[in-house]
Amino acid sequence: MRAIYLIARREFLSYVATWGFWLSLASMPMFMALGFGLPILIENSQPTRYYALIDETGGELEQVIMAARDASREAQSEAVETATAQLAGDSPQLAAALEAAQAQGQIPTQPERYVRVTPEGTDIDTLRPYLLGESSIATDEGDQPLFAAIYLRETASGGIEMEYWSTNLTDGELRSDMRRALRDHMQLNHMLENGVPRELIRDASQLNPVVRELNPERSLDTAEVTSVERLPIIVAIGVAFGLWIIIFSVVNMLLTAMIEEKGNKVLEMMLASSRHHEILTGKLLGVAGVSATLLLAWGSLAAFGGLAIQQLPFAADLPLADVMAAVLDPALIFPAIGYFIIGYLMYGAVFLAIGSLCDTLQDAQTLMSPMMLIMMVPLFLVMVAADAPDSPIVVFASWVPLWTPFIMLARLPQDPGLIDILGTTGLMLATAIAVIWAAGVVFRMGALNQANQDTIKGWFAIFGRKKSG
Amino acid sequence: MSEIILSLEGVSKTFKGKPAVRNLSFAVKRGEITGFLGPNGAGKTTSLRMALGILAPDSGRVTLFGGPPRASALEHVGFLPEERGIYRKMKVIDCIIFFARLKGVAPGEARRRGLEMLEEFGLADVAGSKIKTLSKGMAQKIQIICTLIHNPEFIILDEPFSGLDPVNQKALEQIVRARSKAGATILFSTHVMEHAERLCDQIVLLAKGRKVFDGTVEAALAEVPRRVILETAARAGLREAFAPLGVVSQEDGAPEGAVRWRIDLGPGIDAQHVLKTCVDGDIKLLRFEPARAHLHDAFVQLVETGNHAADPDLTGEAV
Repeated sequence: MRAIYLIARREFLSYVATWGFWLSLASMPMFMALGFGLPILIENSQPTRYYALIDETGGELEQVIMAARDASREAQSEAVETATAQLAGDSPQLAAALEAAQAQGQIPTQPERYVRVTPEGTDIDTLRPYLLGESSIATDEGDQPLFAAIYLRETASGGIEMEYWSTNLTDGELRSDMRRALRDHMQLNHMLENGVPRELIRDASQLNPVVRELNPERSLDTAEVTSVERLPIIVAIGVAFGLWIIIFSVVNMLLTAMIEEKGNKVLEMMLASSRHHEILTGKLLGVAGVSATLLLAWGSLAAFGGLAIQQLPFAADLPLADVMAAVLDPALIFPAIGYFIIGYLMYGAVFLAIGSLCDTLQDAQTLMSPMMLIMMVPLFLVMVAADAPDSPIVVFASWVPLWTPFIMLARLPQDPGLIDILGTTGLMLATAIAVIWAAGVVFRMGALNQANQDTIKGWFAIFGRKKSG
Repeated sequence: MSEIILSLEGVSKTFKGKPAVRNLSFAVKRGEITGFLGPNGAGKTTSLRMALGILAPDSGRVTLFGGPPRASALEHVGFLPEERGIYRKMKVIDCIIFFARLKGVAPGEARRRGLEMLEEFGLADVAGSKIKTLSKGMAQKIQIICTLIHNPEFIILDEPFSGLDPVNQKALEQIVRARSKAGATILFSTHVMEHAERLCDQIVLLAKGRKVFDGTVEAALAEVPRRVILETAARAGLREAFAPLGVVSQEDGAPEGAVRWRIDLGPGIDAQHVLKTCVDGDIKLLRFEPARAHLHDAFVQLVETGNHAADPDLTGEAV
């Protein structure tokens, strides 16, 4: 036991006492913040685009488009006002301060992304140099190139044609906005020409069904399903992903540490003081400690972050308490801990065994590739399980012991059958024991250089020959 | 009778159908320095691994401190493997403490002994350095400290001199002698005969997985015919005069008017007999050089003999 403790402690400290560990610990919340913040940042950093709109139909379509764009801007302003009111919450002082700041123009409004300009010429030959950036148009921001030139015409059959000239092939928002405005206009005109009253059209466009989702397991008065009730499913998917990320990260740590130890020829020194199973167990426990540290740090960060966000007025309605309750639900948290331990032991033992066979990471690549493929599958199937937990593929995959920890975790909130739960768990446990035993045998051979990656390839070659024979 | 620290009785080990060690038996007595000799691939490392229980023998019995080589017995053993390495990212003192603690030394005591040994090895100033910053020779010294930090009763060194420069080889020899003097039992494998000849009380010689010799250095040297080189004035009948002393052969390179002889002395014949024959026969001696046998010659001879003996077509039993 002393040897196991000492090896585990050394292993744990060899990670935790490095800058790399703390960087990787910080990287997860950093990447999450980037994931949320980057789209906003990208959106806000878009340059203002200048376009020319030439209506060759007499000006009616131009008015339609400009009216549609004004309506869109008004909707945006309303959204900002609503958000500001939410931010002020119940505080009259804060509401007054915000109002004053708004009145004085101290709160910046969202700048217009697409600004219409009126160049001197209207034909495409005149506008082409502006579109190509050879000439510039004078704007409030100084001289700028022309982003797009849009021509509106009437076709011979009475339809509308839009010619959209631009060198930018990717930014299609303006084009889509215009097409939508023109389509709505054409559809409205068609209905009006065919005698449909304008009021009727307006009323029809506001029609919307009331949808109530009900759970037949409950009585009528409590049967309505709310969005909060879907949280356990979403949380389970999130936890399954988290489990995958942590297991994937730490088993890679195990692999690289093992290869490094093999390369440094430390193993035989260790074997003179401890036994194979003590080294294997000590390493697994040490890295398990590292993953527990990661889990605790990330979990605490998420909990404190969630609590901090909930103190803000605009986040008061967010169901953070429900999310926390779903995460800490014993029906999820205990199976998650169990699946983590078994999954980690299975994959950890395999990766340690692979590491013991290889002197370099390059050597490990051949053996790693099939393992990586095996590990990637549940990542996709968990997504399928979210929508269709009863899909035959998902059910079948949850019986594959190496995938059980992830897929069953995602299936749990959707009440899989007892046979599925007990059967997959039993099979997973039996496989874990077999895998750890086999990994121990391989580790013993690899540690003393009695086997290497070619030995494993040789085994598969033998199986292949036997099969073909 | 001296206590037996390690004994191997009829031990065999085969890898992928190839025998690495065959029916090996030998014993290491308390307080002795035993040399485990043999050419590369003779099965020395495999035997040592079996002695420590790192590998299980296919047949035969290994006894360490009177019992099977259990983990508890390893606390009294210091093993320096042939393929030795160390945690390069650890600090020197932390690494020494780690290995000491694995051997059951208390943390405070491990630090005290570690600092003491670093001082003794002239490495006190690198105690706080990371091992990766040290030279190869320094790192090897750290490995030796890690092996000896728990004051083991039984020290096993697998090719300890390989990779060391002559100065460090001499230093290691001194360490081995000092530990032996302090009462430790030492078993070391090597194929450098000079070290074995200088250090060992007993040697065990392996060839192709079989033991071909087990005894004292003197007994091993006795296996090599002693030799005398003579140069005499040219004269008829000299070969016949020397013939009763052993195998006589004439060698090139003698000065003009002289003859050079090499006599591999027969059993019970020594250099004095040769001298007496020359005096009695009135043979004019120009050079008389008794050649001292070295363990190297014994090693080569025994291994060659052993290789023939180990060939299953020639014989089935080890010497």
